[in-house]
Amino acid sequence: MLKVTNLKKVYPKSDRVAVDDISFELRPGEIFGFLGQNGAGKSTTIKCLTGILPFDGGSIEVCGYDIQKEPIKAKMNMGYVPDNHSVYEKLTGREYVNYVADLYRVSKQDRTERLERYLDLFKLRFAIDKQIKAYSHGMKQKICIIAALIHEPRLWVLDEPMMGLDPQSTAEIIAYMREHCAKGNTVFFSSHNLDLVKRLCHRVAIINDGHLIDCFDLAGNEENKANLEERFFKITGTYEKRLFEDYVAQEQAEMRPDMPVESVEEPVKQSDTYTDANDYYGYAAPEQFDTYAGNNENYDYAAPEQPYDQNYDGGTEDEQ
Amino acid sequence: MNDKISWLSVKSLLRLEMRARFGSGVDMTPKAKVGKALSMLFTLAIYAILVTGIYYLAEMFVRRSHMPFEFLVMAMTFTVCVTTLVAIGNVVKNLYLSGDNELLLRFPVSGKEILLSKSLYCMVHNIVINLLILIPVCVIYGVVSSAPVGYYFVMLAVMVLAAPLPYAIANLLAIPVMMLMNLVKNQFLLVLILLIAAICAGFILYMTALSGVLEYMRDESASLFSPTVMEKFRNFAGAAYPFKWYALLLGGWFSGYSSLDAGLSFLYLFLITAALSVAAYFVTTRNYYKIILVGVETEKVSFQKKIPNIKRSVFGTLLNREFFLILRSFNYSFQYLAMAVAAPVMVYYCNDLAATMGQNTVGAAIVPGLTLLVIIIFSAIIVSFASTSISREGNAFYHTKIIPVSYSTQILAKLVLYGAVGTASVVLSTIVVAAAFGTDAAGNLLTDLDIGCIFIISEMITLALTCLAIASDVKSPTFNVVGDGEMVSASKNMIISLIVGILVAAVFGMFTMVFSFVPLQVGSTVVIPIGESNNIYAILCGVSAVILAASVAALFVNLDKRYQKIAP
Repeated sequence: MLKVTNLKKVYPKSDRVAVDDISFELRPGEIFGFLGQNGAGKSTTIKCLTGILPFDGGSIEVCGYDIQKEPIKAKMNMGYVPDNHSVYEKLTGREYVNYVADLYRVSKQDRTERLERYLDLFKLRFAIDKQIKAYSHGMKQKICIIAALIHEPRLWVLDEPMMGLDPQSTAEIIAYMREHCAKGNTVFFSSHNLDLVKRLCHRVAIINDGHLIDCFDLAGNEENKANLEERFFKITGTYEKRLFEDYVAQEQAEMRPDMPVESVEEPVKQSDTYTDANDYYGYAAPEQFDTYAGNNENYDYAAPEQPYDQNYDGGTEDEQ
Repeated sequence: MNDKISWLSVKSLLRLEMRARFGSGVDMTPKAKVGKALSMLFTLAIYAILVTGIYYLAEMFVRRSHMPFEFLVMAMTFTVCVTTLVAIGNVVKNLYLSGDNELLLRFPVSGKEILLSKSLYCMVHNIVINLLILIPVCVIYGVVSSAPVGYYFVMLAVMVLAAPLPYAIANLLAIPVMMLMNLVKNQFLLVLILLIAAICAGFILYMTALSGVLEYMRDESASLFSPTVMEKFRNFAGAAYPFKWYALLLGGWFSGYSSLDAGLSFLYLFLITAALSVAAYFVTTRNYYKIILVGVETEKVSFQKKIPNIKRSVFGTLLNREFFLILRSFNYSFQYLAMAVAAPVMVYYCNDLAATMGQNTVGAAIVPGLTLLVIIIFSAIIVSFASTSISREGNAFYHTKIIPVSYSTQILAKLVLYGAVGTASVVLSTIVVAAAFGTDAAGNLLTDLDIGCIFIISEMITLALTCLAIASDVKSPTFNVVGDGEMVSASKNMIISLIVGILVAAVFGMFTMVFSFVPLQVGSTVVIPIGESNNIYAILCGVSAVILAASVAALFVNLDKRYQKIAP
């Protein structure tokens, strides 16, 4: 679905290599997390693979199309949600979505059906005919997501997608990511939220100082899941045993100077009943997202644990 | 709101305000310094033209028409009106619409301190503007009317007295102006029509005044005003209160009025200024904090528009988006659409004036050249807007990179829109000049051949300038946007486009004018004999076609590669 080979990017007038010799491949049906510290090269990589930035070496293929040689075909298969959710603020939400749908040649019927569904899903119906400049941070993020999905891209790329979103919308997006990949599509997103990545992603890659330093499975690998934080801290060179222990322990009662010891509640265990979307961060099990999404009558839910094609070998010529 | 005012905070805020307006001046590159110096020179040149205009007007009224007092009343009316308008704009912009209000409210400073610092800035601005207009008006009047020395001392007193009034009026009117602006905020078409009307009215007024001045400069023996017009001036001067009081105070005592009139004028002006200042103080201090809070809250007020989901072609949707992003911005509507629509009116008046002056001095043969010059200059002004077509994408520029539409198609859509607006403007301008100068009644100053060739050459140059303007922005866009994503100020591309356009206009216009009188010879061969305008047009058409082809090539050859290099 996405094949990045020896990607190299140096910004003009800079002697620092922003991204150096990065290679990875995304398979159909998987959610792929892209982790790294601030300035590690996540956004640069994403901007290169979406065609925003030119790059100095390597190649990027989207659904078999080289982004440099066949950019239109490659972009046709991609939907991108930027981290700064910048859009044309003078347009109304509907005008913007229609504009994007026109560019991706989406039929009138398809765009109407999809838009109706997304408006319910992301609770944005009340604002769709208003000018985007009046939207809040989260609403702009939602309209970006709707516009990115209006052509049902095979590869959905999101840069820090959960920033500024309310918990309910976050849960909706997580559920929709799973639904999207259950259809055989791929989701690629960057995040700083290790808990979210651990619960959502089938696979994860870690970038540090422009180099891809690790790429491993999470789905079906409990050990990797359990060790994600430690592994991240270690391989990004930020691991210090004492600090990491502090990080892990900070949720424990004795480490909460902001609360009297007796009033601090133990973290909700995974087996506890899930009651509030606000509680999912750090505590709730993936099944609980599913339960939540399943409660939404408008939600056409697909199994979240849809495994990606473990035997995927990069696709056949026909597929490409 | 904290009642106690910290002068340290006020000082810091004032310094911040000054830095925001004029920059710190530290670490300026030599290029920036040259730019600033050129900008100052340009401002000085404009000011010098204004002062020269005032001088000729003063001579017209005082020496030629013997209406010194009438001139003084009209000059004071003009001065007070202009300074009041400038002050309203300044107060609304700095006190109420300033983007930093929200930021400042987060700091540990009170609303009163913000008001005080911004008011100090506005007051200084108001005084400077007052002095810049009043000094030349009063000094020129004194020189032209051979006023006694005492007049210059009175002048200083009047300048001190005149400064606070516009500022007080501005503070009182700023609030209703703000309310009006909020009312028409999303009435884009209405705003566009009003802008066009205002531009046309202002330009006609300006050209009429300029025409009078130039006529006076040309023929000193010509009678200036008819008895009816002079009577109208006298009636106006007799009833134009409170401006007449300024004139009475300033020059009444040596223009036949009594000292009592001057004394009473001073009293009336003092009382009016004091009353309005006190009223402005109370209105502003009581409402300022409330209004900037409302401003912050309603900054994002937008319109709602229900439309069905419409499917357009890729090209159509690109055009549609580009047009609406311009129409839905006051700044862009003014800079581009209003100017494009008003251009034919401006072309007519400029051409009329230039043709009249030219005919009287050189002869009717220069009219085609002048027309070409004027049309291309106005096209260049309109088309220079295209030099921000990439920069105006602002933070949403990434969007042009991720969509599955080739960069060439995207740029072509922009070219078609700007080309269409430019073409419409050229067509209208040509129709206007044809109707005004190409008829029997107008003496057939322009023949059908002139009109046709002027249109073809202007059109080719307009399209060429559009291509060059867009190409310059592809080469070096400036994504310097604020608020809703609008550009902060004119980019260097815009200035360069404008200069190139004016140069082309000057060369083409001069070429046509000069070779209407002088034969063009290459060696001993006469290429263009006198009176053979066909050859002049053939050469210019050929050159225009070459320029157009080169401009299209400059825009589209290797466009994908150049566009891909743009990194927001």
